[in-house]
Amino acid sequence: MDVIWPALPAFLIGARNTIIYCIVAFPLALLLGLVLALMSGSSLIWLRGPARIFIEVVRGTPIVAQIFIIYYGLGSLLALTHNDFLVGLINSWSSGIGTLALNYAAYEAEVYRAGFLSVDVGQAEAALSLGLSPGQSFSRIILPQAVPLMIPPFVNDFIYMLKDSAIISVIAGSELTSVLNFWVNRNGSNPLPFYLVAIVLYLLMSLPVSYVARYFERRVRAAL
Amino acid sequence: MSSYRSSAEEGRALAGGRLWPRNVGGSYFYYILLAVAVAAFLYYLYSYRQQALVYLPSLLVGTLVTLIISVLSAIFATILGLIVALGRLSPFRIVRWIAGAYVEIMRGTPLLVQLLLWYYGVGGLLSANGLNPHDLLFQVMTVLQNNSLVPTAFNGFFYGIIGLGFNYGAYLSEVFRTGILAVEKGQMEAALSLGLDTRQAMRHIILPQAIRVAIPPFTNNFITLIQDSAFLSVLAVVELEYVTIGLALPQLDPNSKFFVFILGALLYLALCYPLSLLALYLERRLSVIHLDV
Repeated sequence: MDVIWPALPAFLIGARNTIIYCIVAFPLALLLGLVLALMSGSSLIWLRGPARIFIEVVRGTPIVAQIFIIYYGLGSLLALTHNDFLVGLINSWSSGIGTLALNYAAYEAEVYRAGFLSVDVGQAEAALSLGLSPGQSFSRIILPQAVPLMIPPFVNDFIYMLKDSAIISVIAGSELTSVLNFWVNRNGSNPLPFYLVAIVLYLLMSLPVSYVARYFERRVRAAL
Repeated sequence: MSSYRSSAEEGRALAGGRLWPRNVGGSYFYYILLAVAVAAFLYYLYSYRQQALVYLPSLLVGTLVTLIISVLSAIFATILGLIVALGRLSPFRIVRWIAGAYVEIMRGTPLLVQLLLWYYGVGGLLSANGLNPHDLLFQVMTVLQNNSLVPTAFNGFFYGIIGLGFNYGAYLSEVFRTGILAVEKGQMEAALSLGLDTRQAMRHIILPQAIRVAIPPFTNNFITLIQDSAFLSVLAVVELEYVTIGLALPQLDPNSKFFVFILGALLYLALCYPLSLLALYLERRLSVIHLDV
């Protein structure tokens, strides 16, 4: 316990930073995912093709490789320009948030797609035959039915993001796992208490959210 | 009349998995542009062929190590997942509770932290008390006169595979549990009324059907397992990501640094994309079978 007390404020700041990373990155991922889902659901190959390629490439490569490409690869490429703005663009905050948002956008796109497609085709047909335009049928009929189905996977993905934000520690960010690494290095002879603190903090962040997910899931199941 | 037909067509377009109904021509030009883009990318790879020829052999060895790690931890995780899934469905409350707590803790904490805990925390503690997996294996292999086969980073392999296995055991237990629950209740009842005991019914009736349901999500989990094995680079295991980082970071030229990162990511894609196609195929193939008939 004596080892933990001096480290606890730093750990709490780390946990706060983890939450900030996720709260900024997740809406970005949702927005980009919606764009990707609408693109990949289009019958225009100009929209569908690039979206499918983006989704498959992002889902086919590890997030660690992506953060390295963005932080070191893109960072060093931008350093070539000697433009102060472009060079300052890549830091651990921006590349962490950017990687999380880009990576999760690909997954959220699939959630959106599955949600839209799970609404019965008859609903869209009925809306169209009642004289609604395709846009109206999408926004008035399909969307309100699809959104409740998509909420549980979104909440689950938010938990995944809370945990995946740990990868920011490989580029020495300021979130919980980076703090953990710092304190473990500083106090290498007795690292176990620090791991315990980090695990408890992660559980404190993820378990309440997972109960929220389960609550929504139960509601959806009851509604069906 | 024509408007009715068009809306029916739009309905069919929606049924085909398209969210936007109308079809617009001009897609040939897209494929031409796509071919140009692919050709440009291939030319990009070709223009760095010198570096590629130098780095590809070690990257391919890294790919092989990644594959070996993934398969070993998948086997470990499958065994663990099956045990935990049966534990969560067990009639004893204490067993259910332990299995549930295990799944919650594994799914509630980042894999990276778990791996660090296994390697530095548990591994460090065991090594300090004379239980070093590397040294033990080294001694065994010395007796067998083959100790040069033991890699120096064996502890990383060992604890990495254990960490991945324990983590994915929790995810796979959920996959198997939903698989078991997807088998209709009547199957169990019929097996019991035919005189099988619970264990036989589980072994011969429920599990074969449950595994069929579980195969597509299992494949998806295996893909993410391959990607998550990249975390083992933090434990100094010489797998694909570690090799990529090791080759890329010392590069002085930013362009070739970027290229090596891209090459490493491409190898992951080459590993994962065929598997994701396989998962899609299995999903389509196995969803045709109606288990409750």
